Amino acid sequence: MDLTSTLGLDAARLVDPARYAMSGRAPRVALKPITREEVSEALRAASDDGLGVVPWGGGVALSRERAPKRYDLALDLRALDRIVEFEPEDLTLTAECGVTLEALRDAVSARGLDLPLEAGEAWGATLGGVLAANASGARRLAIGAPRDRILGARFAIGDGTIARSGGKVVKNVAGYGIHRLLCGSRGGIGVILEASLKLLPAPETRTAMVFALEAAQIANVALWSRFPRLEPAVLTIVGRAAANLNPVLAHRTAFTAIVGFEGEAPHVDEMCKLTREALGTPRLKLPGQSATTLWQALADLEELQGPRLSFAGAHNTPGALAPLLSGRLLERAVLHAPFGRLHLFPEPGADSGATLPAETLVRDLHAHGFALIGARGIEPFEPPLAPQVAVGALRASIRVALDPRCTMALGERWATG
Amino acid sequence: MIWTREHLDELRALLGDDGVLDSEAARFTYEADALVLERMMPDVVVLPRSTDEVAAIVRWARAHDVPVTPRGAGTGLAGGATAEFGGIVLSVNRMDRVSRVDPERMLAWVQPGVVNLSLSQQMAQHNLYYAPDPASQQVSTIGGNVSTNAGGPHCLKYGVTLNHVLGLTAVLHDGSIVELGGEALDAPDFDLAALIIGSEGTLAIVTEICVRLLPKPEAVKTMLFDFETIEQACRTVSTTIAAGIVPAAMEIMDQHTAALVEEWLHIGLPLDAGAVLLIEVDGPAMSLPPQVERILALAKAEGTRSTRIAKDEAERALLWKGRKSAFGAYGRSASGFYIMDGVVPRTRLAEALSIVYRLCRERGLEAGNVFHAGDGNLHPHVLFNSDDPEAQKRALDASHEILRMCIRFGGTISGEHGVGMEKRSMMSELFAPEDLAVMERLRDGVNPERRLNPGKILPGGGACREGSREEVGASARAFAPPSHGGQSPRADVDGPWI
Repeated sequence: MDLTSTLGLDAARLVDPARYAMSGRAPRVALKPITREEVSEALRAASDDGLGVVPWGGGVALSRERAPKRYDLALDLRALDRIVEFEPEDLTLTAECGVTLEALRDAVSARGLDLPLEAGEAWGATLGGVLAANASGARRLAIGAPRDRILGARFAIGDGTIARSGGKVVKNVAGYGIHRLLCGSRGGIGVILEASLKLLPAPETRTAMVFALEAAQIANVALWSRFPRLEPAVLTIVGRAAANLNPVLAHRTAFTAIVGFEGEAPHVDEMCKLTREALGTPRLKLPGQSATTLWQALADLEELQGPRLSFAGAHNTPGALAPLLSGRLLERAVLHAPFGRLHLFPEPGADSGATLPAETLVRDLHAHGFALIGARGIEPFEPPLAPQVAVGALRASIRVALDPRCTMALGERWATG
Repeated sequence: MIWTREHLDELRALLGDDGVLDSEAARFTYEADALVLERMMPDVVVLPRSTDEVAAIVRWARAHDVPVTPRGAGTGLAGGATAEFGGIVLSVNRMDRVSRVDPERMLAWVQPGVVNLSLSQQMAQHNLYYAPDPASQQVSTIGGNVSTNAGGPHCLKYGVTLNHVLGLTAVLHDGSIVELGGEALDAPDFDLAALIIGSEGTLAIVTEICVRLLPKPEAVKTMLFDFETIEQACRTVSTTIAAGIVPAAMEIMDQHTAALVEEWLHIGLPLDAGAVLLIEVDGPAMSLPPQVERILALAKAEGTRSTRIAKDEAERALLWKGRKSAFGAYGRSASGFYIMDGVVPRTRLAEALSIVYRLCRERGLEAGNVFHAGDGNLHPHVLFNSDDPEAQKRALDASHEILRMCIRFGGTISGEHGVGMEKRSMMSELFAPEDLAVMERLRDGVNPERRLNPGKILPGGGACREGSREEVGASARAFAPPSHGGQSPRADVDGPWI
C-alpha cells in the first residue's frame, strides 16, 4: 500500500524509513515535517487511518529500543529547530522540539547562562527527545530534570490537535501540567512541538576532581556519609571498563570517582578542600569549561556501552554500591550517587557477574533498593510500569482521553489498565 | 441528594462520630476558603485520618452521587476548597502525622494535613527543612500546598512544591488508591505525580506525600533597600538576576503597603519610599559576603537611598514580619480588596506596575502592591469599600484588566494561588479553546463524573450530574450570606497570606 497517497501527505517531506529503524525494524513511511501544522496534519491523517506513529528526535534512545507493534510512520522532528524566544534576563527560553541540546547550550552559554538539561550525545539529542525521555545527567539533583525545568509546552496529541499548557514565565499554576506529564512519556501521549524552559545563571566557578578508588573505598560507608550535605553538583562513580572508554578518566584502579562543585569560588574551594580531606589528592582537577566537558562525557558514557539497565533508588552516596562489589558486575557501571541512579551494561558472552540474566540482576538490585527504570536493547525487557492495578487504570484513562485511537504507538503499553 | 439521618450514620460508621460534622455551626466554618466572595455551605464535613478512610468516603460519595471537595487549612485565595455544589467537604486536618523521616536520605513521608511550617520545625533536629514556604506556611498544609503547587518567597532559588515532592499516595474518583513516584527522584513509570501536583484536587485526593528535605543553609543575610521609585526597585531585581545572582528571595512592597505596615507594626520602614525591596541570600557562610557586596553595588547603581542589613535573626524575623503582614495591613485600611496572583516576565515588572496603578486610578480606586519580584509574581491588591457595590464592581473590573495585562505581557493569571473558582473565567483568555478542550478531556478521563472538586480550574465545569455552571458561584451566591467581597482576613485565623 502506498501510505503516502493514503495519508495525503506531501511527498517532498518523505525521508528514507531505514534511518528510523528501532532495533532493526523500520517503519513503513518516514516524514520530516518542517512546520507544526505539518506535524498536526500527519497525525490527523495517521489517526484517521488507524496508523501507529513514533515521533523522532535525534534517535539517541529510539534507535536502540524495541519497535512498537504498530510502527507505520516515523515523524522526524529535527526540522523544527528554531529558538523561538530567548530572554536571558528573565532566565527563560522557548524553543522548538528539534533543536539540539548542543545548539541550545551554545546559545545560552554565550549569554552567561547554564542550560539545565543534560543527556548523552548532546550534538544529536534534541530538546523534544530529552524532554520526552525526562533525560538527565550527573547534575540531576543539583539542577533538576526536565519535569522540574519545563515551564510550558505546545504539543500535538494523537488526533493532530495542537494545544498548549503552562506558560513562559518562571511561575505558573494555571491549568493542568500536561507539559510535565509529557516529560518522560516517551512520545506515547503526544508530540512535544515547542517548550519553554527555566534557565540558570552560569555558576561563578565549576571544579571537577577525579579520584582513583578501589572497591574497599567504595564500600566504606563512613567515608561518604558527609557528602550529601556538601551538596556536590556531581558525585559519579564509574567502573574501570567504563572509565577506560574516556581518555581523561581511564585508569587502572577498579573505580573512578568524579566529584564536582559549582557556585561561588570561595565555597567551591572550601568544598574541594573537604573532599580532599575525605578522598585524598585527586588524580585530576579540572576547572571551568573542562568540567562542563566532563559532565557531558559522563552522560555520553551512558550511551556508549550498548545494552543498558537503568536503576533508581533513594540512595545518595556511593556506599549504595557496597553490596554489589563482588564479581565484575560494576566493571562498566555508572552511578550518579547523589540521586541513586545506576546504569549497568550487561555484557553478553562475558564470563562474570555481568552476564547474569537480566531477570536475576533486576531482582538482586531490587533487594538492594534499586528499582529498574529503564532497559535498553535487552530483550524482552522494557522500562517497567508501576505494578498497581489502579495506577494502570489511571495511566490508561489518560491515554484514552488524549489519544483514543492509539495513534502514538509508543503508548501502546499504557492503553490497557 | 436529600440527606437523611441514615446517610450521616453511614459516614459515622466509616469515620467514627467525631469524624463527621453536620451541624450548621460546624459547616459554616467550611463554607469558604479565603475567597469569601464565594460561599457555599457543604452538606457535611468529614475528617478522615487515613488513606483508607479517604478512599471509603470517596466510594460512599460515588455510590450516593455526591461531590467531594478536599480541603487543607482553607487559606487558599481562589475558592479552590469551597464546595460550590455542596456535598462533602473532606478536610485533611486530622491527617497531620509525619509518618516517617529518613534524615540520611533527606526525605520524609507526611500526611496531607501536616502544617508546612510545622514540618520544617520538626525537621530542625536533623538540621533539615522543607523548602517551599508559602506565606501561609504557619497554617497551610502540605496537602493544600501540593494541590496548588504552592510557591512562596524562597521559591525563587529553591523551586516550588513540584520540585520537592518525590512521591504521592492518592485516592482517585472511584475510591481506588494509587502510589505515584516514590522515594527515589525518578520512578519506573511516567510522571503521574507531576500531573496531580497543582491539579487543585480535581484529579485525585492526595493522602500521603514523600517530600525532599534540604540541609538548612549555613548562613542567611537579609537586606532591605529603599528607593524613591518602584521602577528603581524593579530594575534592581532585574539587574541582580541578570548579573547571575539568584537570591533566596526578592520581595517588593510599594509605598502604600510599606506605609500601612509601618503604621501598624513600627518596624522602621521608610514612610516616604516609593518602594522597599527585601533581598535575602543564603548558603555557605563564606559565599555570602561577596554576594551581598555585589547586590549592594547593584542597588546603589539603581539609586537606593538607604540599606538595612539585618544584624541578627531577630531583626531578620522583624523584616519578614513586615513583608508577611502586608495582607493584614490592607485589612486595616479597606473593608474589601481583590488580590491578584498574575505573573509577568520580571524584566517587565516596572511597566506592569505602572499599568496596575493606572487601571485603578482610572476607576477611582487605590491599589497596593506586595509581591515576589524575583519571580515576576505580582500580588496587586485592589482596595474598595465593601459597602459600595459600585466600587466592588469597579474593583473587579480593574482586577480583570490587570490579569489581561499579565496575559498580554506573556505572563499568566496565577503564579501560585491556583485558579479555583475565582479565575476560571479568565482561563478562556489565557488559553485557546483547543487548549482548554484538551485539559477538559484529561480531567474527564481521570475524574469522569467530575466528583472530585467539581467546577474548579476550567470554565464551564459542572459537578457530577448536576449540569455545569458558566459563571462563578451564580447559584452559590443565592445560598450565601451577604458577601463582603473579594478576599479578606478570616475570623478564625491570622491570614490570609500572600
